Amino acid sequence: MLFFSFYKTLIDEEVIVELKNDMSIRGTLKSVDQFLNIKLDDISVLDEIKYPHLSSVKNVFIRGSVVRYVHLPAAVVDTTLLEDASRKEAASQAAKAGGR
Amino acid sequence: MNPLALDAAALPSIIFTTAAQLVDCVDRRLLVVLRDGRKLIGILRSFDQYANLVLQDTVERIVVGSLYNDQPRGVYIIRGENVVLVGQTVRLCLIFMIVIAIIVLTPMQDPEKEATPLMKHVSLDEIFEAQQQESDSRRQREELKNSKLIDIGFSIDSQAEDMY
Amino acid sequence: MADVTTADQLDDSVVSEPLDLVRLSLSERVFVKLKGDREIRGTLHGYDSHCNLVLSEVEETVYVMDDDSDVLKTIKKQSEMLFVRGDAVVLISPPQRT
Repeated sequence: MLFFSFYKTLIDEEVIVELKNDMSIRGTLKSVDQFLNIKLDDISVLDEIKYPHLSSVKNVFIRGSVVRYVHLPAAVVDTTLLEDASRKEAASQAAKAGGR
Repeated sequence: MNPLALDAAALPSIIFTTAAQLVDCVDRRLLVVLRDGRKLIGILRSFDQYANLVLQDTVERIVVGSLYNDQPRGVYIIRGENVVLVGQTVRLCLIFMIVIAIIVLTPMQDPEKEATPLMKHVSLDEIFEAQQQESDSRRQREELKNSKLIDIGFSIDSQAEDMY
Repeated sequence: MADVTTADQLDDSVVSEPLDLVRLSLSERVFVKLKGDREIRGTLHGYDSHCNLVLSEVEETVYVMDDDSDVLKTIKKQSEMLFVRGDAVVLISPPQRT
């Protein structure tokens, strides 16, 4: 759930989603879900010439499993908070696994 | 308590679920790109939490470079794991009246009209030929690249399903 | 390791499972090998059990085939902040000494 919460803090920010097929889509992050599926509004495809079929598409729902990277604005990310959250998440995952 | 959750809780109560993201796509003509590279244009009638989709009046748009051909396909039930993206288009019609300019947003109705000026419609035979040429040259390049990668110690894990 | 105690799991300094090694690398530079002939170097700020990562000051190295000369070459790209999806991660390690 850590990155689900992380993405919720980035709603309305402009991000670039790079898919596993090398297509990169810039857009405003509007929604995310627990599978890290992403909804982007007002998109523009980088290297549009290669993907002409997407030129009239304005909003996309991108399945989380096809994402390779998401380029984020560094200014919006609180790295200290993220590191703390990672440690806590790791501890709770380990406790959950140990308890089974 | 996850410290990041404290910030997120301050957001207006948009439901962050798969269903919530897809609900405003229902009854719209959408572009769905699948993992095998197919592009389907159809009206979304139903979906679920796995992003399984029901598309009606579907047209498969075969695209090779800037050439394309549309084939009618009917009704599709698409298993969510095969979906790459679901795209919504917006068509702007500007109607200029003498005094008033009205901007109207309408959902896609006719896939032909949504074809972009960047793309050229060709016959089925032509598109298949172009597709064959493209896949042949892609296979050659991949084979050459894989042999070079193996030489420097990489292992090859190409997946046929990631053809999009 | 069924007999790992709960106290160990909550103690940040104990390394008992592989992902604990990743925890030790938080706010340090790491080297990550990914599927698809890619490598990235960056400062690790976040991770989870799927190996989803957030890194800053990232340099990505992609091994590509140069179409004209049929030579394998690398392309390097920079990014100020990057989320990496865990299903593509092959390994995470401290930076290699090259």
